[in-house]
Amino acid sequence: MTEHLEPGSIQSAGASPAVAEELLGVIQGVEGVSAVYPAQPLWQSIAGAAMAAVTGEILPLVSVTGDGDALAVKARIGVGTLRPAPSVAREVAGAVRTHLLPRDAAVEVYVVKVGP
Amino acid sequence: MNTPEDSLDCGHSLAELSTYLDTGEIADPAHLHSCPECQAGLASLRRLSQLGSELLTSDLADAGSGHDDWMQSILDNLRLELRPGRSIPLQAGNPKDTLWETEGSISALIRSVADALPGTAAGKCRLHGDVTTPGAGITVDVEIAVVYGHPLDERAEELRRELAQTLAFQTELNIETINITVRDVLEPPSAADQVPSPPTSPAPTTREDQP
Amino acid sequence: MGKAENVTGSPAAQHQLDLVPDALLAGRAADGDTAAFEALARRHGPLMRATARRLTGSQADADDVVQETLVQAWKQLDNLRDPAAVKGWLLRIVGSRSIDHLRRRRNHAGLDAVENQVEHDAKPQAADPEHSAVITSRVEALKAALAKLPEEQRRCWVLKEFNDQSYEEIALTLNISQASVRGRLARARITLARMMEEWR
Repeated sequence: MTEHLEPGSIQSAGASPAVAEELLGVIQGVEGVSAVYPAQPLWQSIAGAAMAAVTGEILPLVSVTGDGDALAVKARIGVGTLRPAPSVAREVAGAVRTHLLPRDAAVEVYVVKVGP
Repeated sequence: MNTPEDSLDCGHSLAELSTYLDTGEIADPAHLHSCPECQAGLASLRRLSQLGSELLTSDLADAGSGHDDWMQSILDNLRLELRPGRSIPLQAGNPKDTLWETEGSISALIRSVADALPGTAAGKCRLHGDVTTPGAGITVDVEIAVVYGHPLDERAEELRRELAQTLAFQTELNIETINITVRDVLEPPSAADQVPSPPTSPAPTTREDQP
Repeated sequence: MGKAENVTGSPAAQHQLDLVPDALLAGRAADGDTAAFEALARRHGPLMRATARRLTGSQADADDVVQETLVQAWKQLDNLRDPAAVKGWLLRIVGSRSIDHLRRRRNHAGLDAVENQVEHDAKPQAADPEHSAVITSRVEALKAALAKLPEEQRRCWVLKEFNDQSYEEIALTLNISQASVRGRLARARITLARMMEEWR
């Protein structure tokens, strides 16, 4: 199982969970995005998910790391069939970047599902 | 393990009978067959076991079919995680951004196209070539199963056209070749539909259909 | 994909994999054939779910367990020596994942909270007159009786009656001796049989 997870990228060191929540809305608002998946892969967060089920806590889907001025955002999305996935990915990155202005951001978008 | 209440008046215990039920082994089989108390105890355990089967039946009904939404959503999750494969780069609008499609998402897309054709189901599906280098020539290998009675060549050709179109739309890959192999010919459903376990092995009829 | 098949009208081919025997599917899955693996998951999923439901005492946990089981199974398919035995193999993973799941929750959430939740989930609360009215069938009564068993006994009983595991397999799953399995299973049955006789 190959996974691309930088150690220690587990959510918000310095970035507020609210930002992650905002970005989730921004990404979901991009036409063609059918789903947003946890930035942290499922098999690593299984224990976390079970805990969340007990505590009612919701894990942020979009990962936001870094300090106030330079943020790193990572999102994993699903794209439907109507619009080309590459364009949708670019629009997602653009929308995130625009939303975070004037802060600088490096946006990483994975399309992990394409189609119905 | 024999508490007084588990012991029968004949000196044997329900625990011994419980083991007998599972293994068929007991120290004194002759006694077992002639002792009314042991027989009654055994009957009681068998009733419980029967009731256990009823509970299982009821729980299985509650669990629903493997084709229901609960399983679908588990499988959807698994697909994302189990085989992400290589990361296929996409052109970014901003140099600081990095955009990817996972190889797994493209394989799943290919399979969904194959599954959507009448009478075909996708099997293995592979992208050959360096998908991590933009513009590198890529070969797609897809195995399918076709339900008996559907024209193999036509199905393969149709699938090839659909895949070329879909991949051009949904990826930036430079697809050079699409190979379709018919791996299985499947029995039509109506005949064996009612049988829970298949009466015959479906012949793994391998037909190398196209290059 | 599963949903797409309804739209596109080719359920036949998808469901045809359902007719392929376990051994063949398991072999193909070990080769990396995800469609074959999914067919196995669909085929044995309901029993896995029902088993996990009784072992963990909650439906939400059961689904987590099924998912974890499938993740683990996919990663370890190479270790499956006899492909025809894939069903029992999956169920043994369900057993150990269920036990792990409960243990992990306890460690994190604190014993009391989880105990309460599990009991709440699993017990129709036969003692409560309002609830006992709900117990209209012997199966319902068995559910209630089962929920009252000590956990180790219930596990042995479920693995035996739902999954038909041998003493040896149960011992491996629960990490206890075969003698303990035999003893706990007997105690579970004796208690349940007595409770069921009382219910009648």
